Amino acid sequence: MPYTLSQLRLLLLLALTLLVGLGVREWRAGFPDAAERFERFDREERMSPMLPDADPPPAAAGPGGGAGLAAPTATGQSSRPASPAIAHTSPRTSASPTPRPPGALVPFAPVGQAKPAPSPPAEPLDVNRADVAELARLPGVGAGLAQRIVEERERRGRFDSPEALRYVLGMGPKKLAAIRRYITVRE
Amino acid sequence: MSEQSLRAAPLLPPTAAFAAGSVAASWWPAPSAALLGAGAAVLLAAVLAARRMPRVALALVLGGWAVLGAMRAAPPPLPDDHIARRSPTTSVTVEAKLAQEPTRWAPDRTRLLLDILAVHVGPERLPASGRVQVTVYGELTTPLGEGQRVIVDARLHRPVGYRNPGGFDYPAHLQRDGILLVGNARADRLVAITPDAPPWPVAVKRWAVGVISARLPEASAALLAGLLMGERAQLPTESDESFRRAGVYHVLAVSGFNVALLAGAVFAVLAMGGVPRRGAAVVAAAALVGFALVVGGQPSVLRATVMGLLLLAALLLDRKSQLMNALAAAALGLLLWRPGDLWEPGFQLSFAATAGIVHVTPWLSARLTDRGWPAWLATAVAVSVGAQAAVTPLMLAHFNQLSLIGVAANLAVVPLAGLGTMLGMLALLLELFSTGLAGLLFEALWLVLLALRAAVWTAAAVPAAMVHLPAPAAITLLAWYAAVVLAPAGWASRRARAALGALAVVVAVTSIWPWLRPTDGLLRVTFLDVGQGDAALVELPDGPRLLVDGGPGGARRFDVGERVLAPFLWNRPVGCLDAVALSHWDIDHSGGLAAVLRHFRVGEFWESGRAPSGAADTVAALVRSGAPRRVLAAGQRLWLGRARVTVLGPAPGPSVAANDDSLVLRLDWRGISLLLPGDLGAQGEAALLRRAGPLRALVLKVAHHGSRSSSGTPFLHAAQPLVAVVSVGARNPFRHPSPETLARLEAAGTRIYRTDRDGAVMLETDGHVLRVTAWARGTTDTYELAEPENTTAPG
Repeated sequence: MPYTLSQLRLLLLLALTLLVGLGVREWRAGFPDAAERFERFDREERMSPMLPDADPPPAAAGPGGGAGLAAPTATGQSSRPASPAIAHTSPRTSASPTPRPPGALVPFAPVGQAKPAPSPPAEPLDVNRADVAELARLPGVGAGLAQRIVEERERRGRFDSPEALRYVLGMGPKKLAAIRRYITVRE
Repeated sequence: MSEQSLRAAPLLPPTAAFAAGSVAASWWPAPSAALLGAGAAVLLAAVLAARRMPRVALALVLGGWAVLGAMRAAPPPLPDDHIARRSPTTSVTVEAKLAQEPTRWAPDRTRLLLDILAVHVGPERLPASGRVQVTVYGELTTPLGEGQRVIVDARLHRPVGYRNPGGFDYPAHLQRDGILLVGNARADRLVAITPDAPPWPVAVKRWAVGVISARLPEASAALLAGLLMGERAQLPTESDESFRRAGVYHVLAVSGFNVALLAGAVFAVLAMGGVPRRGAAVVAAAALVGFALVVGGQPSVLRATVMGLLLLAALLLDRKSQLMNALAAAALGLLLWRPGDLWEPGFQLSFAATAGIVHVTPWLSARLTDRGWPAWLATAVAVSVGAQAAVTPLMLAHFNQLSLIGVAANLAVVPLAGLGTMLGMLALLLELFSTGLAGLLFEALWLVLLALRAAVWTAAAVPAAMVHLPAPAAITLLAWYAAVVLAPAGWASRRARAALGALAVVVAVTSIWPWLRPTDGLLRVTFLDVGQGDAALVELPDGPRLLVDGGPGGARRFDVGERVLAPFLWNRPVGCLDAVALSHWDIDHSGGLAAVLRHFRVGEFWESGRAPSGAADTVAALVRSGAPRRVLAAGQRLWLGRARVTVLGPAPGPSVAANDDSLVLRLDWRGISLLLPGDLGAQGEAALLRRAGPLRALVLKVAHHGSRSSSGTPFLHAAQPLVAVVSVGARNPFRHPSPETLARLEAAGTRIYRTDRDGAVMLETDGHVLRVTAWARGTTDTYELAEPENTTAPG
């Protein structure tokens, strides 16, 4: 026999491995969805969770209204008790009682079921979504600069941060600082 | 070390002496001339003593090695044309060669390591030298590669790290790689002047990565690239995290593991094919060197290659190989060549793990086999234990990580990784001859990679697979390593066992001590250096802790929360934050909180209730952490331990602008008052003054990083702070803090501290004396406080 035993074993192992590979290929071709599920088993789906609408507390609260740290909430679950290190005293002002006192813990709604927040008028402008007209309403930004911002955005895909606006011709540090508080960059 | 083990590893003492000298030089730097003199004197004395007193002579020779180490550790003088000698200017046009393949962080952010060739001043080309690291912003029009020449307009400056207690010294790390300047450039101001023609190792690596990613699905391909070549750039974040948690991250770095497999496989196949032993050894050595060139020069690769070559040489010369001696030789060679590597975690981990395996494994596996364990299991466990025993203190010191599952996980992961590596190399080799067969091999390999990922994922999913602990103290480290060194030799004797027990007690007590340390009755407020952003930790003497804002962070940028804030808190040590307050949702305040919410128990999350803008990671972490949220508004008061927290803003009602809606907190403790106004601007300050809350405060965190539109005179007049802290990043694009604001603060008679110049600003007070430490400067100012200002206490 031309081969030693160990050489034979090695060749056999190689052939077996290739056979397994052949099997895997056939299986993957037959069930691409299953293969894809296997491949992604440890990957997280990138979700964009939303905070439930934590509406700003009203101007005044009822007497002792804030004391209910573990008050039952609308969903029927009681919110978790606060850290023992923290004690909450009621606000100074007192007026008519309100359903959700300031300082009460806000329950979490299941992710994805939160209703989208109504956009208040002074919400910062997302420079990655805004159109030319919206951008041109920013202080110190004219139609030309707004147009260039949109062109730069299209060239780059998106702005990573508000500071990235500095890439736009005519957007100096002062101008950016002036509009900085009115703009934002959403993920 | 016993006489016998020294004889087996004669290079160990000189190597240790060299390293010790190198370490000593970082504490007591001596001029080269003095060291040269000392070294000559020591060696002369050694020659004189050699005959009569061999022991003294030996000690003197080792002293000579230590002096050599100290001399080598001193940085060489800068050449005259070094780029760092130029007076700093805003922008400079440099001609440079790419020293390595570019690293892409994001589609529009690429990091280049450049060897400077010349500086262009107008039409003139002045030769220059030096290495700089430049981040290029914007989409590169041409792909770049190692060895290519470019001309680029770069803004260069000295690197600045995050200067916090126990923090990572980034400038020192760069300097060890010869990088004295870092900078940034725009992609459209970069021109390649030579074509992308990489040297052959780079070309081989690119080809291999290309084949792997073409043959395998994304995540599996990234894993194989990591296994074979330590190429981890494409690895998904969650896989990366799983490997860390499971304590098996080392399989993703090229190490002795790959080198041994490669050399062993080449040698075995050739020997089986009838090639004589010596010929096979020569081919295996050549394969090793080629492999090292392809995967690059990380310390672990170099260590493994040098050791592998020495062992193969021993085979060639029919000598008995001494692993420990080969390890010492590799260390000495590496330190002579690149002395700075001694401080790199990669160097320390690689050498410690190997030394641990060499030192502990024979003894432990013998003991386990005596107890009736099967030989293969005893060896596997002993290797795993030996490596973990050696690297555990280092992992804690550098990363605060302790993998509790590591020893067990390695038992399953290492064989799978070995199988994957072997098949991967074979498949790449086969790809050269038959793409069809190689394709089949890659299919089989896919199964192995899936099994490997499943094993790692399972280990990482075990609760408390990895815990975070403070960096061990020097005494803990010493006691631990003394015990590891002593264990194999000393187990037999009763006295040594007693010493081992004593060392174990020392390790246990010194490790637990930070948690048991009694309170010293001081209120501590730390304004951390988080670059451009805010993060302040308030620690009350009776225990509670409040973190206000978390600095910048999140995906696709430097995550200050993960890299700065969390290590600081782990080292403190902090296990639980009673409250985390977020002033507003801007990314430079909220981004870093994502990591904080992931890693620490948070009692309550305080916010002003405005809708989050951006900061998706933090929102996700907040939802997932389940920390109860408390919406605060002006007029509320809370007790945090014995300190009173008063909410001064924002007023309930419609939102004005993100910054002016900042949560404004005031903290009172024993007459010490602290005002934390977030990014409040002029409008918000006016509203605050209208509401006439208690504004007078001893310490003010200057609003909005010292922006011009904040900290107006009326507000400062009301607050009258003794000390003001500006939390601001060096060279930030907003030019914070504004000189006008600083002038206003000075006019108000306030002492100003700035995190961009002072690093972390740490306040501590007992109610009578206030001490303010500027961490980066190493200075502490003491303020005697007069009477507690009880007039400011709210009613």
